[in-house]
Amino acid sequence: MSDFHQTGVITTLHQLGKPSLERLESELYGFSKARPVALVLPALYSEFEGPAMPGIVQELAKVKYLNEIVLVLDKGSEKDFQRVREFMSPISTEVKIIHNDGKRISEIYETFARNGFNVGERGKGRSAWLAYGYVLARGRSDVIALHDCDIVTYSRELLARLCYPVVNPNLDYVFCKGYYSRVSSKLNGRVTRLLVTPLVRALEQLIGQHDFLAFLDSFRYPLSGEFCMITDLARTNRIPWDWGLEVGSLAEVHRNYSPRRVCQVDIAANYEHKHQILSADDANKGLMKMTVDICKSIFRTLASEGVVFSDGLFKSLLVAYLRQAEDTILKYEADAAINGLKFDRHEEAMAVEAFTRAIAMATQVFMENPMATPLIPNWNRVTSAIPGIFEMLKMAVDEDNK
Amino acid sequence: MMDFLNLILEPLQEVFLTFKVFLPNLLAMIVIVIVGIVLARIVRIILIKSLTAINFDSWSDRMGFTTLMRKGDLWAKPSATLGAIVFWLLVIVTLMIGLSALNIPAIGGLVEQFFGYVPRVFSAAMILIIGYVLAGFISQGVLIAAVNSGYHYSKLLAKAIRTLLMVLILAMAMEQLQIAPSIVLAAFSIIFGGIVVALSISFGVGGIDAARRMIEQETLEKGAAETKDDIEHV
Repeated sequence: MSDFHQTGVITTLHQLGKPSLERLESELYGFSKARPVALVLPALYSEFEGPAMPGIVQELAKVKYLNEIVLVLDKGSEKDFQRVREFMSPISTEVKIIHNDGKRISEIYETFARNGFNVGERGKGRSAWLAYGYVLARGRSDVIALHDCDIVTYSRELLARLCYPVVNPNLDYVFCKGYYSRVSSKLNGRVTRLLVTPLVRALEQLIGQHDFLAFLDSFRYPLSGEFCMITDLARTNRIPWDWGLEVGSLAEVHRNYSPRRVCQVDIAANYEHKHQILSADDANKGLMKMTVDICKSIFRTLASEGVVFSDGLFKSLLVAYLRQAEDTILKYEADAAINGLKFDRHEEAMAVEAFTRAIAMATQVFMENPMATPLIPNWNRVTSAIPGIFEMLKMAVDEDNK
Repeated sequence: MMDFLNLILEPLQEVFLTFKVFLPNLLAMIVIVIVGIVLARIVRIILIKSLTAINFDSWSDRMGFTTLMRKGDLWAKPSATLGAIVFWLLVIVTLMIGLSALNIPAIGGLVEQFFGYVPRVFSAAMILIIGYVLAGFISQGVLIAAVNSGYHYSKLLAKAIRTLLMVLILAMAMEQLQIAPSIVLAAFSIIFGGIVVALSISFGVGGIDAARRMIEQETLEKGAAETKDDIEHV
């Protein structure tokens, strides 16, 4: 059982006791009549061959309150697309699959490119953005929920708890982020534990009280891939297409809405998904690439809000981060000890060293070109430049799904 | 025996002689078709490159031509589609010129008819293109004006006007192509006439009270003004 302490500037919704899933779902069913919910699933075809997707489909088949499911299939051939359609058939909710490698969707990407829109490289960010576009084009849902497709410990309670704060009109949150603990026989979630939180606190130490840093530090799991939001947010927010997706999205939420309308919710007692390799020697893949992108995203957001970065500040940041991260390792060592979890202190220290190198790389890249932005333009701008884009996207997906 | 052989050989000889006369024409046709196809390909490549250079695809996206193509489940680039249309038109023209080189009277008549019809096809295409752009422009104008006037069904009104204009343009294009002109004219008259009659009736019936109120008010105001005049003069 969780504590009930409220930390930070946003609301935290804890899991207290054992709330009834049936009650939650029946309330959601009622609320969803006025606020229909779309579920967006960005997926790779390989995830359908893994252990997570069968469980997710089995659970989604029991969910009654969803209005539509939009699955974005990446790295899949025409045959794979047909297999996925078959795979999703047990779900009674209307499922639309966006075939990213299909002829029609490829032409949609071509349309963006020739009109001067850089929608970035393939990945979760681009897929999620396209799915939002499709949900907006259909205009049938007021709320969008999104979760990854590699969750091995998936249960429909996760989805219900994620949607509830936004779908319930009495609570009226515009954005809700999921949080959970990442524990197996040891503590997982290294990037959040050993990079984001210590980095944010080191930055606070150096540049003082800052709204965005306070906002970011309020999230218990800022890198969780599960969130729910109103569709207006999907229309106005710009989404990063790189690994800065989660942090960049939070920055956009912070920019456009008051923290009073943002919350985080405990969605699972435990959460297990595909792990990324650290890849300490190569900054272009694994957790190192993720780290560089996340750091750049944080620096860019702060710079856009008036923070002046200099060589001196970055040098101090590296030292301050290292101290914060070392202190964090000690805290987690104690946490692991009391809970009887394995804790490899050397491995954690190695990760921190790698993250420090990655921060140094990110500072260098940022200083060289602070204007480089991986943000995909928001849908308002796209529809202004290409008035028929929603119609085209809708036709492409609907034809593919015929 | 010789007579019998002559009976067989004579027709063959005749066929051979006819073929000998026909052969240069056939060769001319083949050359024309091959050269025509090669030229059509070159024209297509030049056209696509020129259209790409002037951002035709992007212009089509903004003007709604791309959306129109997608509605017909055409998912190629607008420039490539236009290139393909021009290519096939040139191939057909080449084929017709090639066929006329055969010097066969029946085919000659057909070719003549075809070339007589080409200007009509061209003007119908122009009507469709210009009409589509104009319909979009007018519908957008109506939408903006209706929204600014606070009209509740602005989008519906704009769509209705666009649809009506498209019907008008289609009728004009079909009339130009001489495709069942009497039926097109009758259908168009019935549809537009029907709409006008429906609007007249609905406005007339629905506006009886409003019209009565307006006339009564007008009469009252006139009466009051006349009375006021009397007093003032006295």
